[in-house]
Amino acid sequence: MSRSEVSTTTGMVRTPEASPMLPRPFRVIEVRPEAADTVTLSLVAARSDGEFSFRPGQFTMLYVLGVGEVPMSISGDPGQGRLLQHTVRRVGAVTSALCDIQSGGEIGVRGPYGRGWPTGRAEEKDVLIIAGGIGLAPLRPAVLEILGNRDRFGSLSVLYGVRTPEDLLFEEDLHSWRSRFDIEVEVTVDRSTLGWRGDVGVVTTLLPRVSFDPSNTIALVCGPEIMMKVVARELSDLGVSPEGIFLSIERNMKCAIGFCGHCQFGADFICRDGPVMSYASVAARLGVAEL
Amino acid sequence: MKVDELRDKAELLESLPDEQLGLLASVVDETSYPASEILFREDQPADEFFIVEKGLVSLELVTPGIEPMVILSLGPSELVGISWMVPPYKWKWTARTIRDSQLLVFDAVRVREQCEKDPELKLWVLQMVAEQAVRRLHSTRVQLLDLYESK
Repeated sequence: MSRSEVSTTTGMVRTPEASPMLPRPFRVIEVRPEAADTVTLSLVAARSDGEFSFRPGQFTMLYVLGVGEVPMSISGDPGQGRLLQHTVRRVGAVTSALCDIQSGGEIGVRGPYGRGWPTGRAEEKDVLIIAGGIGLAPLRPAVLEILGNRDRFGSLSVLYGVRTPEDLLFEEDLHSWRSRFDIEVEVTVDRSTLGWRGDVGVVTTLLPRVSFDPSNTIALVCGPEIMMKVVARELSDLGVSPEGIFLSIERNMKCAIGFCGHCQFGADFICRDGPVMSYASVAARLGVAEL
Repeated sequence: MKVDELRDKAELLESLPDEQLGLLASVVDETSYPASEILFREDQPADEFFIVEKGLVSLELVTPGIEPMVILSLGPSELVGISWMVPPYKWKWTARTIRDSQLLVFDAVRVREQCEKDPELKLWVLQMVAEQAVRRLHSTRVQLLDLYESK
């Protein structure tokens, strides 16, 4: 195969690097432990100095040579140009290999893919960011983007629920955000352990603690699907429009470009039509066990 | 405490008519507690209840030899204690301040007496307690699902 070829339909020069199915090599420059089973990988392109631009909420496909490929939400700052960050929890063979990778190692990256958080639509509105467990990872880029353009938004609140205090991610960020006067941050755990002086209870119990106008609010929600369903229902009951509630839906993504159908969710392919979707568009499907 | 003052301090009571709110205002004190102060212990008579103005209160179960198991925390505008409204009027959980807290402390025995004399107050108080109990029931059910481990 030649290094480049001309598409007969678009006339654009395509290089192998531009192929959506071909991973690009990225080098790991930092591995930061977040929790016992979770790390944040910082990556840069290994063969070029090009920028890696993405929208908050998008994902990439991470390929570990000889092990396999997994979809992974981007957890880094969209304003940081070359740097790509992923927060990985050890759940299977590929994620275990990613968690075990050392600084200096290389992995393959395809993407970014998918529709991200509608931060543009959130301008002039109150913004609620509600995360459960590792769901804070895909929301972190949205928080960082909003904080970077703080005057364009109304109130900003981050509500974060985890199983135990040991499962908290991005503690440094949480402390830093809490020290600001233009963001409310509330954290709760399902089960407290020795020394925990914060809230105990499900993440929805934090909603009365923060100020927002339900009629002018955009809510960005990410976590396990049951958690998102419970949160979306509660927000809806409080008067937030289902069109203003956005969830990040997770399915078994393989090709990531809407070809293979592995991530089909009703009439949508999550890799192409998601992962971020409005509650209005998915509410009925969240009650269908077969999906 | 004056009626308007109580209405300002307790969002939970803001829809209560003046007459009934006046009855509650006559049996309430505002008290500050340091962190780690026990408000009530399980199996003790439930003769007070609380509304949080500032701070955070935990509901916990105490078992010998292990750390108290915290099941829930309650923050501003939330009711601490619901067992005072139903027989046998005994606490099932221990309540402790997690942080320095300012609480409205109601004499539950007198509120129960007032409720027997005033059906409108009784209906309103029962509804307030029921709403809090239902909300906590839903939250506890969700908590039982171990959300963050689910797929």
